Amino acid sequence: MRYALLVQGGPYSHQASHSALRFAEAVLARGHHLATVFFYHDGVYNAARLSAPPQDEPHLLDAWRRLHEDHGTELLVCIAAGLRRGLLDEREAARHGKQGHSLEAPFELTGLGQLIEVGRSHDRLVTFSP
Amino acid sequence: MNDIPEGDLLVILRHGPHGNSWLREGLDAALVAAAFGQRVSLLFLGEGVMALLKDQQEGPLGQKGTQPMLEMLGMYDIETLLVDRRALSERGIEVDDLCVSVSLVEGEAIAGALAHHRQILNF
Amino acid sequence: MILHILNRSPSASRVFQQTLDAMGPEDRLLLIEDAVQGALPQLVRYFEPVIGRLFALREDLASRGLDGRCDSRVMVVDVDGFVTLTEEADKTVSWF
Repeated sequence: MRYALLVQGGPYSHQASHSALRFAEAVLARGHHLATVFFYHDGVYNAARLSAPPQDEPHLLDAWRRLHEDHGTELLVCIAAGLRRGLLDEREAARHGKQGHSLEAPFELTGLGQLIEVGRSHDRLVTFSP
Repeated sequence: MNDIPEGDLLVILRHGPHGNSWLREGLDAALVAAAFGQRVSLLFLGEGVMALLKDQQEGPLGQKGTQPMLEMLGMYDIETLLVDRRALSERGIEVDDLCVSVSLVEGEAIAGALAHHRQILNF
Repeated sequence: MILHILNRSPSASRVFQQTLDAMGPEDRLLLIEDAVQGALPQLVRYFEPVIGRLFALREDLASRGLDGRCDSRVMVVDVDGFVTLTEEADKTVSWF
């Protein structure tokens, strides 16, 4: 089956990100395709590229990246929710006259319409909220 | 209640305006889905009914309310607004106190609304 | 059949009531994160209407020191079982 996850909890504030990543591993282990993770609400903070957790804590940012590298999972960040919260890729940073950017590949800023498309085109959408 | 239409997406709204962004972001999702041609219904449960009260205003620093978004629902052909009857009565709110026209649901009709839609987003 | 996923303890939040109100007769409920407290014999009464269709996530019980303290009527599943529940359901709804 084609799975998608919707993550709405901020990393290190709520268990949502940890729960979603644990579920993601289990989905893959059962032979499903985890096609998409969509980040909305405070979930967009999962994409903050400068996240620097202590070494003895799970590195959530790296765990998301590995999902993309090892399984081709697309990591989509709602652009409206992201921009409000300071999550800008290089292009958006330039467009808004900001120095530096806070989000980079493999995370992609995308419209909320993508979430609707994901819900339509995947077999299962499972939400992890704060 | 058997007049709940079949739909592509049911957006459940369970938070009131101003205190957090769930209501705004939930309504955003509903409007975008409708713009993409999905048949969208809204279900207001619990505190979500506070979204519908008349006479709301801006919050501090001009914080936007959600009333303008509710007024746009018709333009996007979102016409099925289901409201939990008990949530209204618990708060002493009458249907006449609401800024849009709604259908009241209770009991099994709530589960029916979930069953009648292919996809559900819960905010 | 819908799989409902709840992450709030019934002793801290009333969202469990909304969840129960929205459940159809065949729907299932999985308790995760803080909601696993609801599997304790002292709190499981809140979920009386869905006994037999009530699951709790083992990993979240274990991390909270609650594995082995569950009411026997709650079906404990690991994260693999969580995936199975999503496979068996037509769709999922998360309550928070």
